[in-house]
Amino acid sequence: MEGLIGKGEKRIDGYDKVTGKGLFASDYVNQFPNLAHIKAYRSPYAHAKIRSFDVSKAEALEGVICILTGYEPGLDWDQFPKTSVIAKDETLWAGQIIALVCADTLEIAEKAIELIEADFEKLPAVLSYNEAIKPNPVSVVDPDYETRPLGFTDRPGDRASNRVSPNVVGAFKLHAGDVDNAMAKAETIVEGEFWTGKKTASPLECANAICRYDSDGGITMWSNGAGVHGVIKQGICRILHMEESKVRIIQPYMGGSFGSRLNPYIEMLTALICLKTKKTVSFQYTREELFIGAPSNWPCMTKVKLGATKEGTIIANDYYLAEEIGACLNNTFFSGRLSSSGAIPVYRFPNLRMDTCAVATNTVPAAEYRGLGCPEAEFGIECLVNQLADELGMSPVEVRMKNIIDKGERDAHGELITSIGLKACLQSVADVIKVEEEPKQDMGVWKKGRGCAVGGKQNTPLGRSEAEVWYNSDGSLQLFISCDENGMGATTTMAQIVANEFQVPITEVRVTKGDTAITPYDNYSASSRTTYNTGNAVKFACEDAISKLKEEIARVYGLHPSKVELKGKKAFLSGSHLQEVDIPSLFNPTSMFTQGNWGLQKGSPVKGRGIFCPAPIHQWNDKGLSDRVWNWFQYSAAAVEVAVNEETGQVKVLKVASSADTGNPINPKLVESQIEGGVHMAIGFYLNEEHLFDENGKIANANFSDYRLPTILDMPMNEDVYPLINPDPLPDGPYGAKGMAESIVIPVGPAIAHGIYKAVGVRVNGYPMTAERVLALIKEKKAKEAAK
Amino acid sequence: MRFEKYFEPTTVEDCCQILKEHGSDAKILAGGTDIVPRLKNKSWNPIAIIGIGKIPHIDDIVVSKEGLELGAGAQLRKISMDKSLEKDYKVIMEAAGHVSSMQIRNIATIGGNACNASPSADAIQGLMVMDATAVIASSQGTREVPIEDFFTGPGKNVLNEGEILLRFKVPAPKPGTGAVYKKFAIRGDTDISIVGVACRLTLQEDGTIEEARISLAAVAPKPIRVMAAEKALVDKKLTAELIEEIGEIAADICTPISDQRGTAEYRKEMIRVWTRHALKEAKERANAS
Repeated sequence: MEGLIGKGEKRIDGYDKVTGKGLFASDYVNQFPNLAHIKAYRSPYAHAKIRSFDVSKAEALEGVICILTGYEPGLDWDQFPKTSVIAKDETLWAGQIIALVCADTLEIAEKAIELIEADFEKLPAVLSYNEAIKPNPVSVVDPDYETRPLGFTDRPGDRASNRVSPNVVGAFKLHAGDVDNAMAKAETIVEGEFWTGKKTASPLECANAICRYDSDGGITMWSNGAGVHGVIKQGICRILHMEESKVRIIQPYMGGSFGSRLNPYIEMLTALICLKTKKTVSFQYTREELFIGAPSNWPCMTKVKLGATKEGTIIANDYYLAEEIGACLNNTFFSGRLSSSGAIPVYRFPNLRMDTCAVATNTVPAAEYRGLGCPEAEFGIECLVNQLADELGMSPVEVRMKNIIDKGERDAHGELITSIGLKACLQSVADVIKVEEEPKQDMGVWKKGRGCAVGGKQNTPLGRSEAEVWYNSDGSLQLFISCDENGMGATTTMAQIVANEFQVPITEVRVTKGDTAITPYDNYSASSRTTYNTGNAVKFACEDAISKLKEEIARVYGLHPSKVELKGKKAFLSGSHLQEVDIPSLFNPTSMFTQGNWGLQKGSPVKGRGIFCPAPIHQWNDKGLSDRVWNWFQYSAAAVEVAVNEETGQVKVLKVASSADTGNPINPKLVESQIEGGVHMAIGFYLNEEHLFDENGKIANANFSDYRLPTILDMPMNEDVYPLINPDPLPDGPYGAKGMAESIVIPVGPAIAHGIYKAVGVRVNGYPMTAERVLALIKEKKAKEAAK
Repeated sequence: MRFEKYFEPTTVEDCCQILKEHGSDAKILAGGTDIVPRLKNKSWNPIAIIGIGKIPHIDDIVVSKEGLELGAGAQLRKISMDKSLEKDYKVIMEAAGHVSSMQIRNIATIGGNACNASPSADAIQGLMVMDATAVIASSQGTREVPIEDFFTGPGKNVLNEGEILLRFKVPAPKPGTGAVYKKFAIRGDTDISIVGVACRLTLQEDGTIEEARISLAAVAPKPIRVMAAEKALVDKKLTAELIEEIGEIAADICTPISDQRGTAEYRKEMIRVWTRHALKEAKERANAS
């Protein structure tokens, strides 16, 4: 049979999921006869002093097993994920946990929460970048930042210096070339300030964990969190001081993550209460809790200035970025470097100055969210590149073609770009949507416009992936992996690699995954790395198993292993009296009494093991430069046709083309699904989704009624969504493949913004581009025109 | 979600008797789309629940020469699909059809939408401009209340303890009548309305407006009629200037709040926009009738 790489194989988990036979983590609630339930008491205020907190009535309620507060002895809360830190004397965001109740039933736990008596003194809060960044803000979120040791040493710039506000809690600076000099020589300058909204990932399945107390004092957990080994197990062992042999984490089907489940906020608390109560306990987040008590994305505020020649060649980029990170105490994660990273490998910036920082606010702590800040960081640059094209009378495609980095060049960091298919991506989407032509205006008050943009995202060379492959005695294959299946189809892709290596149909491969007692180490699926990291490990494991199998077969026939070729269940031999043998027939049958069972034996598979770890970075210098800051880069281009309602400001995406440079796609059908999913996520992300706050600083739209995710009716018709793949093979990827999931979202927003400009002549400098905001801009423009 | 007693009366009299006995401890269950979430989040803690689905004719839709009788238990989807309403009561179908998703409309009822008395209720907007009357029963008998007096504030209505809304009576419209309901929300019907505008125009043969009704949703503590605009329309022909003027009056009169769905300013602007559209479309329909 032909190779399977590049074939749109069906998802191997599809049948299980569409028939409802597969169990998701939250389904496990029904698997335990005696399950205790955890409920959280949360802060009603964004910032408050807890004057008094009395749980005695709640504790006295029959069926209440225990109540855990921030005063629990022996815990180092600094080690816990930020959103699971239980408040002690002061609450830092509306939704922060103040107490956890564990009770025999959910109803009793809820009743106990109502019986808790608390008295708060509401304190002033900073809910946005603009309030937090003031030199004398009304609230300083982390007053001890200055004196705390940072988690990292010798990383230049991590410690925020020249802090314009005490809420600045991290910084990064990069300076390549000479921006001032280049800017002085520039013939055209475009500049602007851009903002982005605060959002929450909305997987269908809310965060949940069930933890069983085992008779030996160990625990077994079922959760929909990511990273069974690298995140959850390691976290529990480290934070709760557990022996590795006594922690087992199982990941059933996950109902989505979008990055948000990389943060084990529910797992640590559930394990803690399990150990405290010695019972099987369940913690199931509600949708509201997912908004107020789970990490959000981090909005970015950018000030961008691009200098260019009159031919459209960008010669300088002066770039400021602030990440708004919520109530993250003891910040060592954020500095602005992560967000701004995606902007570097896209365009040639011979002169680039980046000055970035992290700003704390009294809102839910931020953490990983699809794109790691790149959609927020690149929005301003992309908007300005479109503006540059408009001002120079060029097409937005042409101006980009002049500036997009070519393969083999180095980006402003100094990194060698080994795989970039972005120009082909851009051309393909521009052609499909006809970006360079004007649409026919035939929709009355709905004015049409077309726009395009591009985006890039780095891959972080973190982690270690392992895989184990069994060649069973009947010729079927079994794969053991621990990468996450957030829903993207990684399990299918991995099975496809195995099937390809052994030249068997994918139906011969069974995958066992996500159980720390059974499946080998993988840190987690993030940074679009699964195909690359785990894929490489799986390929190694296959090669290992194949080589062992060849050796065994060669031994049977007295050959050197190099004389054996495998194809599915057949081995082809050279130099033997036999040309072709059926491999399963070489496995010796056994009975209960068979002795001397060396060699290939029925029921005992030949096992291969593979490990893959990407090469580490080279530490950047004091200018923020290094020839290896990241691993490889994924790219995407998008073009849209939008319609803008002049009367209401509503924006509809009529058509969208999105193209990914995935390297060689292993399963193009899954890539297309990822593109479609990414585009639809982006439509919500850029047009509607944002946290709105009430007078107490609590998220006012923490529900699906008012947090406006797009429904199926808000999406363009299927025939108007064009997923396109333009691969540039990645030399170090399995079969030249690389990841792609995060980059899709990045260009959709700036493409929509340019479409809006083309339609109604207003430039939107932030998102979500809600109807109300777009209408305000239209009115402002009309008022200006009337004044003339 | 716990309550102590559940009743399913099979006559109006029985229902009124149960209501009388339990007073404010009883709540009526029709479609359940408003009451069930409240029971779940414990904002209501009634002792008794009275399911009204078994009361005969409670969901009847009857069109006669005199007009329409619309049972309080009629599901919104049933109303929105009922062909017998198409000729004279299209606006009632339309308003019912704009409430939330199909799943909700399948079980939510017109009486429930009225009794819930949300300022943003869509379904009752058709009744508002068609001069509907609410028929209310109690153990003392029945009484009738014009729909615009039915609502008394956000979540409040004229029903006293022991009373149940039985049906709406809608008089048959005169020839030359056209009416329309415009719902404005970002994600279409699924969302709670940012604003809603219902409009009815009854035209004389030469196009002069004989009677006008304009009703607004989601821009005041309760659904409101814009009487000043209605007056300004009567005895005139609908011109572009008049449309603008009426839009202004409607925007002036409404008193929206700012919330997560939209600011007060945006709501006023949307009232202006959608009043204009509603007027134009009502006229087109009147001309076509």
